[in-house]
Amino acid sequence: MRIFDRLWQALDGRLELAPLVDFATHKVVPQHRHSWAYYFGGLTLFFFIVQVATGILLLLYYRPTSEAAFESVQFIVTRVPFGWLIRSVHSWSANLMVLAAFAHMFSVYLLGSYAKPRELTWWSGFALLVLAMGFGFSGYLLPWNELAFFATRVGTDMVSKVPLIGGWLLKFLRGGEEVTGATLTRFFGFHVAVLPMITTTLLATHLAFIQRQGMHVPEGLEEEAATRRPLRFAPNFMMREGVVWLAGLAALAALAAFFPWELGSKADPFASAPAGIKPEWYFLFMFEALKLLPAHVLGIEGELVGLGAFSLAGLVWFLVPVLDRGSRIGHRSRAFLALGWLALAYIVVFTLASMAGAFK
Amino acid sequence: MPAVHEGSVISRRAALNWLLGTSLGATLAAALYPVFRFVIPPEVAEAPVNRVLAGKLSELPANTGKIFRFGSKPGILVRTANGEIRAFSAVCTHLNCTVQYRPDFQHIWCACHNGHYDLQGKNIAGPPPRPLEAYKVDIAGDDLYVTRRA
Amino acid sequence: MRNHSFLALVLALAATVAGAAPPPNLVRPPGTHAEDTCTACHMALDDARLRTPAKLTDNDIHHAQGVTCAGCHGGDPTSEDAAVAMNTAKGFKGKFSHQAIPEMCGSCHSDASFMLRYAPNVPTDQLAQYRTSKHGQALAKGDTNVAICSSCHGAHGVLAVNDARSTVYPTRIVDTCGRCHGDAVLMGHYGIKGNEIAEYKQSAHYAALVTKNDLSAPTCKSCHGAHGATPPGVSSVSNICGTCHVTQRERFDLSPHKDAFAALSQPACESCHSNHAIVHPQDSWIGVGKDQTCGSCHSAGDSGATAATAILAALSGASKGLGGTQQRVDRVQLAGMLMDEAEVKLEDAHQAFIMAQVEIHTVNPSRVEEKTKAVLASTGAAERLAASAETEIRYRRTGLFVSLVVIALAMVTLIFKIRGMER
Repeated sequence: MRIFDRLWQALDGRLELAPLVDFATHKVVPQHRHSWAYYFGGLTLFFFIVQVATGILLLLYYRPTSEAAFESVQFIVTRVPFGWLIRSVHSWSANLMVLAAFAHMFSVYLLGSYAKPRELTWWSGFALLVLAMGFGFSGYLLPWNELAFFATRVGTDMVSKVPLIGGWLLKFLRGGEEVTGATLTRFFGFHVAVLPMITTTLLATHLAFIQRQGMHVPEGLEEEAATRRPLRFAPNFMMREGVVWLAGLAALAALAAFFPWELGSKADPFASAPAGIKPEWYFLFMFEALKLLPAHVLGIEGELVGLGAFSLAGLVWFLVPVLDRGSRIGHRSRAFLALGWLALAYIVVFTLASMAGAFK
Repeated sequence: MPAVHEGSVISRRAALNWLLGTSLGATLAAALYPVFRFVIPPEVAEAPVNRVLAGKLSELPANTGKIFRFGSKPGILVRTANGEIRAFSAVCTHLNCTVQYRPDFQHIWCACHNGHYDLQGKNIAGPPPRPLEAYKVDIAGDDLYVTRRA
Repeated sequence: MRNHSFLALVLALAATVAGAAPPPNLVRPPGTHAEDTCTACHMALDDARLRTPAKLTDNDIHHAQGVTCAGCHGGDPTSEDAAVAMNTAKGFKGKFSHQAIPEMCGSCHSDASFMLRYAPNVPTDQLAQYRTSKHGQALAKGDTNVAICSSCHGAHGVLAVNDARSTVYPTRIVDTCGRCHGDAVLMGHYGIKGNEIAEYKQSAHYAALVTKNDLSAPTCKSCHGAHGATPPGVSSVSNICGTCHVTQRERFDLSPHKDAFAALSQPACESCHSNHAIVHPQDSWIGVGKDQTCGSCHSAGDSGATAATAILAALSGASKGLGGTQQRVDRVQLAGMLMDEAEVKLEDAHQAFIMAQVEIHTVNPSRVEEKTKAVLASTGAAERLAASAETEIRYRRTGLFVSLVVIALAMVTLIFKIRGMER
C-alpha cells in the first residue's frame, strides 16, 4: 500500500489531482422514483467499450476486400480460437448498444432532461446516436454476405433521393455507382477510422458536460429528491452501475452462447436480390414506413416525401431544447411530452411489427 | 454474546469481500481468457481464399494427375505427357462427382457416368454439359500454387 | 454483258445437270451479299405473299453467302424487266413443288466440293440420309404431308443450325418437330400417337435442355437422327442411349437382362425407362410391387424379386444415411463450425451413391452393395466429424454457462456489498 501512496503523492505533486478526487468523492446523484433512468447512459458506454475491444480484436484477422472479406470472417468464426465468441459478442453488443442508447435517449427526453442548461449535452447525445447508427450501417456490410450486400444497396440508394446532392452523396458512400468492393473498403474506413475518431471526441465532450452539470432532477420530482439522501457517485453509484454492467456482460454471454450470430452466404453482386431483405432492426421503423408510402405523394416521389418527413422529425427532435420554450424555465410543454410518447410508440410498434413479419 | 455477534459480522463482511473479489476476478478471467486465445493465430495462419499450395512438382511425373483441395471442393492438377502442368476444378459438371486423370486415355475422366474432358478441361464425351473450370498454376521452386479467379 | 450472263446461265444449267457447282453469277463468291433485281422488285410488291420471301433474305444464310434468289429459282437477276428476269427460257423455275425441294437443296448440299468453299465442316450427306428417312420414303411415294428440308429449316430466311434463332437450334427443334408430330389427327394417318412431344417435354432430358440450357441434352434428332429421321429399332435402343449413358450400358451388358431382353425382342433401356417421357429414375421403382418397374416381368418369389429386394434395401439404407448425415453436417455448419472435412466425406459418399445407382443396371445385388458400403463408410466418417463438432458446441455452451454463473455471482455479491455499505 505504501508504494501506491508514494505513487499517488508523486502524481498529485505534479498534476494537482487532488481537486479531481475531491470532485469525484463529493459528486452526488439525486435519488427519486425515476433515478433508474440514470443507468442507461453508463450501460451504453459499457457496450461501446466492448465494441472497441472486440472490434480491435477482429481487426487482427479481418480483410476489407470483396474477395477476402467473407472468407476472413468465416476464418475468424471457424478457425481462430474463440473467434466465434469475439465475432458474436461484437455483433450482439452493437445491437445492445443501440438499444441502450435508444433507452437512454427516450428516458432523457421523457423526463425533460434536455432542458436548459443541458442543450449541448442533448445535441452531442443526438449526434452520438446518429454515429452509432452509422457504425451499425457500415459494420453490417463488412462480413460481405448476401443479406448485408443487398441491404446496403437499398440503404445507400435512399440517399440518392436527396435533392441536388443525392447523386454525389451516393457516389461518396458507394465509392462508385454501384455497391462493390470499393464500397466495402470505404465502409471499412468509416467503421474503423472516421466514426471512432469522431465518436471518441464527442463522447468525451458528452461525458464532460454531464460531470460538469451533474444529474438533472426531472420536473415535479424536486421535492422528493430534496427529501431523499442523494447517492454518492463514488463508490455507491459506481458500484450500482457495476451491477448493471455485469448484467450487460451476462446478456452478451447468454446471447452469444444461445444465439450465435450467423454468417450467411457470400454476397454475389450479380445474383438477384433474395426475398426478405431487411436492414438492422433499428432502421426498420424508417424502412417499413418508406415502403408503405405510395410511389407519388402530391406529385413528389413518395420516398422523397418520406425522407423529408424523417429529416424534419429528426430536426424537431434535435431542436427540442429550443422549441420547447417552457422547458427553459422549468415548465415543459405537454405537447412535447406527448410527442415523445408518440415517437416511442411509433418506433416500438413498427419495429416489433416488422420483426413479426406484419409488413410482408 | 455481543462479541460473538460482532465477530460474525466481521467474518461475514470478510467472506463477502473475498467472494466479491474472487467472483469479479473470475469474471475478468472469463473475459480475458478468450482474448488471449484469440490473439494467438491458428495453425492455418490465413484464410484460404483463392490460392492454395496444391502439390510438389517432383511428386507429379509426366502423364499423371493429383487431386488437391480448395476448401472443401476438390481440384485436379494434371501433368500432361509432354510435361505441361495444368489445374482444373475436379467437380464434374454433370453430377458433381470428382474427376480423375486417366494415364491410359491421357485425359481427364469421371468414373460416375464415363464423362471425358480433354487436357483443356473441355467436355469431349459423355454426359458432362460444360467444361471444367480452369485454374492458374504458378510454380515456385518445387511448389505448385493454384489460383482460381475470384 | 448481256451475252455474258446468258452464257453464264447456259453454263449454270449445264453444270446443274452435270452436278457441278452453279456458275458465279447466280452464286457469287462466299461472303458477298446477294442484292439484285429480284429482291429490289419483290421488296416493292404489295402482295405480302410475294414480298415476304424477299424480306426474309435479309437474315438468310444463303443470301449472306452470295447465293442469289436465282441460285435456287433460276431466271435472270440482272434484268429489271419481270418478263425477262422470270422467263422460263432463262431457266426460271418459280415456286418449287413439295417433291422437288429436297433434290433442289441437295444440288448444292450434296456436292462436297461445292460446300467446301462455304462451310467445310458441314456434312454433305443430308439428302442421302433424307432418302432413308420415313419422311423421304413417304415423299418418294408421293405423300406431300411429310417434312421436307424447308419444313424444318424454313424456305427463305434459313439460319445457320447453330444460330439460336434457328428453328432447328437444340432448344427450338422440339417444337419444330412438334408442329407436325404434336398433331394427333395428322399423326393418326401414320399410326403414330402424336403425344410423343408432350411426353418428351415431361422428361429429364427436356428439363436439362430448358432449365440448365444444356445443349448436349438429347432432343428428337439425337435418337431418331435429323435428316434420316427413323424410329430406332428394338435392337439398337441400348446403342443409342449408350452413346451418352456409357457406364449404364456397360453394366447392362453384364447383366442377365441383356440376353433375356434380346430373346424376347424387348427393347433394352426403354423397357424400364420408357422412350419419350424419360424421367429421373427413383429408387422406389425397384421391386415387384404394384407400379414398380421390375414387377412388369418379375413376380414375388422369383430370383429377380429377391435381387430387387436386396438392391432396394442397399440403396435405401445408403440414401437414408446420406440424407441424415447431410442434414446433421448442415446443422453443425450453420452453427458456425468448420465442416470442410465432413463435406469432403459427404462428396465421397455422394459419388459412391451415384456409382451404386449405375450398378443397378447389372441387377447384381453384391455389386450394388459394394458401392453402398462405400457410401456408409464415408457418411460414418462424416458423422464422427459432426459428432465431435457437436461436442465442441456443447463445450462452448457449458463454458459460457459457467461464466454466466460467475457473472451472476459477482452481481449478487456486489448487490450485497452495496446493501451492507448503505445500511
